[in-house]
Amino acid sequence: MGENIKKKDLTIDIEISDNDIYEAMKDIPGYLDITPADLKDVYKLAYRHALQRITQAVRAHDIMTTQVFSVNRTTPVMEVAELMAEKTVSGIPVLEEDGKVAGIISEKDFLSHMGSRDKTHFMAVVAECLQGKGCVAMPIRSQKAEDIMTSPAVAVKEDTSVIEIANLFTEKNINRVPVINEEGRLKGIVSRADIVLASLMKTKSKQ
Amino acid sequence: MLSNYFNKMRGTTKSPPAVNLSEIFWSWIGAFLGISTVALISYKVLEGKGLTMIIGSFGASAVLIYGAVKSPLAQPRNLLGGHVFSAIIGVTSYQLFQSHIWFAAAIAVATAIAFMHATKTLHPPGGATALIAVIGGESVHKLGYLYAIIPTAVGASIMLAVALLINNIPKSRRYPEFWL
Repeated sequence: MGENIKKKDLTIDIEISDNDIYEAMKDIPGYLDITPADLKDVYKLAYRHALQRITQAVRAHDIMTTQVFSVNRTTPVMEVAELMAEKTVSGIPVLEEDGKVAGIISEKDFLSHMGSRDKTHFMAVVAECLQGKGCVAMPIRSQKAEDIMTSPAVAVKEDTSVIEIANLFTEKNINRVPVINEEGRLKGIVSRADIVLASLMKTKSKQ
Repeated sequence: MLSNYFNKMRGTTKSPPAVNLSEIFWSWIGAFLGISTVALISYKVLEGKGLTMIIGSFGASAVLIYGAVKSPLAQPRNLLGGHVFSAIIGVTSYQLFQSHIWFAAAIAVATAIAFMHATKTLHPPGGATALIAVIGGESVHKLGYLYAIIPTAVGASIMLAVALLINNIPKSRRYPEFWL
């Protein structure tokens, strides 16, 4: 769970040279009443403040996609695959009957349950199909969502900060995470793309 | 420890870039018009009336408000606040300590700087305005606190008006950065 992930210090060091600052000062017409070194210090500190503000202030509920498609434990994997293709999503939460998150199915789960020898690479699956060994997806044809889902799903709370989510993605090597409320019910989903979009829009709206 | 102390004297960075020709041109125009306005009033209108509209510190103000228009030190709040507060402090220092001019001069400038800091009106020429109130001679001394109004407040306001009119003509300039 998200709250167990230790908050990491931001180790993003800005590689900005004195000359970058000097050139930037030349880009601004008029006399700037500040030395390049002072300006660099101001820039670095401001950057750090901005990072802290954005990563701590922006929380899961600010950037999550609320229109989430989900399936039930008993949904046949074929329907899961069809739904994921139709909605162009690469992962989908599996819900209990009471709406709690039971698990999550991603493309990786399909791969690892299919009959392919190499269970991690999509291209290995393609290769096996092309080698005339038939569709390697057949073995899971009659299975249900609960048979292939990753459970329990790694989930976060609505107030989990974006930086924690980003760390979670890296640590667990996942691309999306369901957002649940206190009762464990699904409220939304945050993908890597949501984080990128959120930071882009933040930058844009300020200009 | 000691080597660190002396190392600090070596400096850490290079000087800021030079400005371009257009900047030099507009700095010249602004300063010429600003100073000529207060000088004209001073020498054509107030001459012989025991009043003046120009003091030495306006030359320093011109550097800032026409030559470094983005500087926080050059903003209207600083220009007007710095000059007027310093003038009052200078006149007060002279009147209190005129028997020890050296002391009156030092206390005027030091207090002016402290006061400008505290009121966020730091304007380097203000220090000169305070000093002139002490060492400016008979013509300044007899003005008393009027010195804070004419030439200081009115003169600085005229220079400000010229800065507003001239600094906003070129595309690359904008003035002020802030009022309060």
